[in-house]
Amino acid sequence: MLQIENLQVAYGKEEILHGISLTVKQGETLALIGESGAGKTTLGLSLLRLAGDTVTGSVRWQDRDLLKCTEEELRDVRGRLVALVHQNGGEVLHPLHTAVEQVAEAVRVHFPVTKEAAKAKAAETLAVVGLDADRHRLHPHRLSGGEQQRVLLAMALVNEPGLLILDEPTSSLDPPGKAQVLRILESTLRGRTNLLITHDLATAATVADTVAVLYSGRIVETGPCAEVFASPGHPYTRALLRAYPDMTTFKDIQCIPGHASSGVPGCAFHPRCSQRIEACAAEVPALETKTGGRAVACHRGGIVPMLEVAGLKKQLEGRTILQGISLTLYEGETLALVGESGSGKTTLAKTLMGLWPADGGTFRIDGKDGWARHQFYERIQLVFQNPKEAFSHRLNVGEIVREPLDIHNRGPKAERDGKVCRTLAEVDLPSTENFLRRYPHQLSGGEAQRVAIARALILEPKLLIADEITASLDAGVQARVIRLLMRLQDMRGLAILFITHDIALARKISDRAIVLKDGCVVETGLSSAVFTNPVHPYTRQLVEAAPRLHRQ
Amino acid sequence: MHIQYGKKLKSGPGLLGLYLLIFWAAVALAGFFLTPYAPEAYAGKAFLPPSAAHWLGTNDVGQDLLSQLMAGARTSLGVAIGAAFVSALLGALLGAGGTLVGGSVERLTVRMMDVGLVIPPILAAMLAAAYLQPGSFTLIGILAFFFWPGTGRLLRSQTLLLRESGPVTAARTFGAGRWYLLRRHVLPDLAPVLSAAMIHDARRAVFLEAGLAFLGISDPLAQSWGRMIQQALAFTYLDAWSWWLLPPGIAVSSLVLAFALIGTGLEETHAAD
Amino acid sequence: MRISRLLTDYAIAFFLLCSLGFVLPRLLPGDPFLAIYGEEAALSMTPEMKAEIYRRFALDQSWGTQFVAYFASLLRADLGWSYYFNAPVGKVMAGFLPWTILLAGASLLISTVGGFVLGLESGSRKGSRWDKGLFAGLMLVGGVPDFFVGALLLLGFAVIWPLFPLGGAVTVYGGQAGWAWGLDVLRHLALPLASLVLARMTTLYLLCRNSAALLLKAPFLRTARSKGCDEGSIRYRHLGRSVLLPAATSAGLHLSHLFAGILMIEVVFGYPGMGTLLHRALAARDYPLLQGILLLASVTVLGVNFFVELLYPILDPRVKTACISNTERS
Repeated sequence: MLQIENLQVAYGKEEILHGISLTVKQGETLALIGESGAGKTTLGLSLLRLAGDTVTGSVRWQDRDLLKCTEEELRDVRGRLVALVHQNGGEVLHPLHTAVEQVAEAVRVHFPVTKEAAKAKAAETLAVVGLDADRHRLHPHRLSGGEQQRVLLAMALVNEPGLLILDEPTSSLDPPGKAQVLRILESTLRGRTNLLITHDLATAATVADTVAVLYSGRIVETGPCAEVFASPGHPYTRALLRAYPDMTTFKDIQCIPGHASSGVPGCAFHPRCSQRIEACAAEVPALETKTGGRAVACHRGGIVPMLEVAGLKKQLEGRTILQGISLTLYEGETLALVGESGSGKTTLAKTLMGLWPADGGTFRIDGKDGWARHQFYERIQLVFQNPKEAFSHRLNVGEIVREPLDIHNRGPKAERDGKVCRTLAEVDLPSTENFLRRYPHQLSGGEAQRVAIARALILEPKLLIADEITASLDAGVQARVIRLLMRLQDMRGLAILFITHDIALARKISDRAIVLKDGCVVETGLSSAVFTNPVHPYTRQLVEAAPRLHRQ
Repeated sequence: MHIQYGKKLKSGPGLLGLYLLIFWAAVALAGFFLTPYAPEAYAGKAFLPPSAAHWLGTNDVGQDLLSQLMAGARTSLGVAIGAAFVSALLGALLGAGGTLVGGSVERLTVRMMDVGLVIPPILAAMLAAAYLQPGSFTLIGILAFFFWPGTGRLLRSQTLLLRESGPVTAARTFGAGRWYLLRRHVLPDLAPVLSAAMIHDARRAVFLEAGLAFLGISDPLAQSWGRMIQQALAFTYLDAWSWWLLPPGIAVSSLVLAFALIGTGLEETHAAD
Repeated sequence: MRISRLLTDYAIAFFLLCSLGFVLPRLLPGDPFLAIYGEEAALSMTPEMKAEIYRRFALDQSWGTQFVAYFASLLRADLGWSYYFNAPVGKVMAGFLPWTILLAGASLLISTVGGFVLGLESGSRKGSRWDKGLFAGLMLVGGVPDFFVGALLLLGFAVIWPLFPLGGAVTVYGGQAGWAWGLDVLRHLALPLASLVLARMTTLYLLCRNSAALLLKAPFLRTARSKGCDEGSIRYRHLGRSVLLPAATSAGLHLSHLFAGILMIEVVFGYPGMGTLLHRALAARDYPLLQGILLLASVTVLGVNFFVELLYPILDPRVKTACISNTERS
């Protein structure tokens, strides 16, 4: 078992790793993921004291603290008990020694064998990793990237180490090469304790049991790999997953605002985090364990659920419209609510907005279910399908957008006007005098919808319910509005409950989906799962009936 | 690649080399007018140890050693700088110019340089010197003749790079001729390589000149440190070696060292760019 | 460059060198015989000899025929007649050659190995006191001309402290044999060898030091360390192997400098090798002897250079053709 406790690594005055604590159980594969520059390679190297000027903390492997060993003891460990598979790039292999010579050297350094015996063992291991025998005696520059990676792998495996540290074993390869190496990894990693360092999430998903996420020299999340990827706990993990092009998801890749920088006080991620609070800039959050073997380092305990609905019931005119709905919507996420007309979608929206009281069940917004009036409307807003119907024909654009501020009496007039202009800019509308003085009937469909969104946003809610907001718009205009919403989600962490009957649209913009039929939830889960492999027959019907542009 | 002229030699060794060189240049210049005696003149009794009248003493026939040393500085520096310059000139013209001209001219110059590099310069110089009994100017010519292929090769490879570069290609679209290109675009960018090569050639020239004089092959009329050493060596059993043998030896060594240090200093300055 | 082109270059160089030996004496005014043999020779030779030489080298005929005769004699290994020694040039040289081979071989070996090892150790510790000291020391020594180093060593260890003999290769008329003779040879070899090694080691040292320092950052060193290799094997098997290429080629290519050094040192110490022979030939204006020596030396250097250039792709498998970069040639 590998136990790293409070590992701190610095180069000169610059600290790269700030107190890392990790445990890799015997026989387990832990993937350490993060962006370049986070310190992943440094971590891998410093375990064997091959990097960093000052290294403190403890690294325990088989009852031995590697950081406290003498250089001689460490030399015995390196390459025999703990082996490192280096990242392939530059001249990682000696250019003038042949492949088999370099692998054989690993044997000869630790065991008193003859040259031939070492070469034989080396050839054996090279065969295991899939290098053809006639390529063994070549020099590295004659081997392809994938073959070089295999030589590096063989060098590490030849002495059958108990712990294997792999640094980006697939990043320098093209897809076929990657696939080959992954196959080899799947078989060679079994039964060994492995620390896999990578920024390639697919590699981690294929071979790792557990995963640890590294950001700016600190661990922000750990947990079983499949669970973390399905339901990330830390905002950064979610952002990483969203930025990764994947064959299973349909949502557009989203970028992470800002950029990683060092020397940030408090939580290193907080300048880029959409759910930050004051404490985040003050103190570094500790890695806290949650249920199910997961741990997250966040002052807010991970990604905050903005909306938690449990068993919500509503009756209208004697009929039960909502029959016990339960759903959860997280911060910065889009939940698609799909169903036919009459399934209760709009009823749910209006109930959540507090337009009428529920007849059963509870729901909580941002953790509470009893907000004061103005606090409530600062958190949740609703945009309707038909914007023009939601505008008073007597008010012009400026007044419409300013209305929520007027109602809640927020700040002096000049400030309100300023806010109006800024919010209009956010939705890509001009804030000229001319435009502000326009009346609803003078706006196009798309413009009107955007004005409605601006009005909904002016109170800066964290949760937006969008009830079929693009149903009456042209595809082009719809696209614009959707992109606007996604941008807002990226920048502000806006949680969107997107109500629609358009399956294709739902699949494109949502993280999770919920299917409503006759007031009941018939299916729920990740969008990629629900819309690709629907379980419930009703869902299947909907998916099959969804319009397709190209005939198959 | 921003080349700055007059960039100071950053490192300590480079500066030391520069000071040494300036020192000897001053001595050489002084050697024209300020020698206490004419170097060839019989100025006193033989084997006189250093004294007020003869700062370095006298040799076996009574010539003043200080005057000989100063005159020798003239020869060494003159040959060194002359050889370096002529070699640089030939290298630039044939190496860089030939590359720019292209075609069969380029092939010819490259062949010349290839063959020239293969011939061991020192031996060939000795052979030539043995037959031709060269005066200082002929010696410069001989040395330059054997040095220029090395310099030329270096300049050629730099010119090859520059030839395909943006500014040169652009200039050619304006109709610039070869001379213009050489003068305006190529030579200025060759300055660092050229200066390094010239320092190197100067260093070898001092070595060779002293060596040839030591062997007795060079101009009998010119004063040379090498010859002083040769003469001094014949009388090792006398005490005279301390003031006869050592000064010219130290002089040659320090001049060679000066060039070597300047060369290293230039390397480090350019590496720091 | 392909091998054929390399061969052509070397062949042309050789041809030019031989032609130089042919052309130079004939550039001087007067009777070619006089030019070739010099006045003193002409005076001391018998008429029969003169006639023989005229015949052999076709000296009374046109330049063209002379040239052919010249090359023909070269191919016959007939290098002419040394008037000073009154014997064929070839025979004279054979008498002096073994001593030079001993001196040259030993100094080449020691200065190569020494320069390599010191350069490697220095470069891998660049900036430390060891390195700074070695660097300063060798730079200083490297600037001193070979003959001066020899002169100083001679003065220091043969005149002031008479630890070693003043010169020569063996104590003449010593009448020793076997081990005693060998020891005597070594005693006489010591100072000349030391001078040559000191003077010649610097170039290789600097080259190895720079290469080693540059390569210190190479990733494959860290890979080796992670396998558990100790510092010594890293320095020699990994770093050293990469430095070996430029070092070996440089050593081979600087052979001509070594010859110049040998010449000077032999003169200083009166060591009876080719250098002393050359010096005497120069003094006596024995042109055929001179030419013979210089030709032999050039051929040797050319040959070694040629093989070194051929060897390059074997030393560095990344190089496909026999080709050397510019800086290493000069």
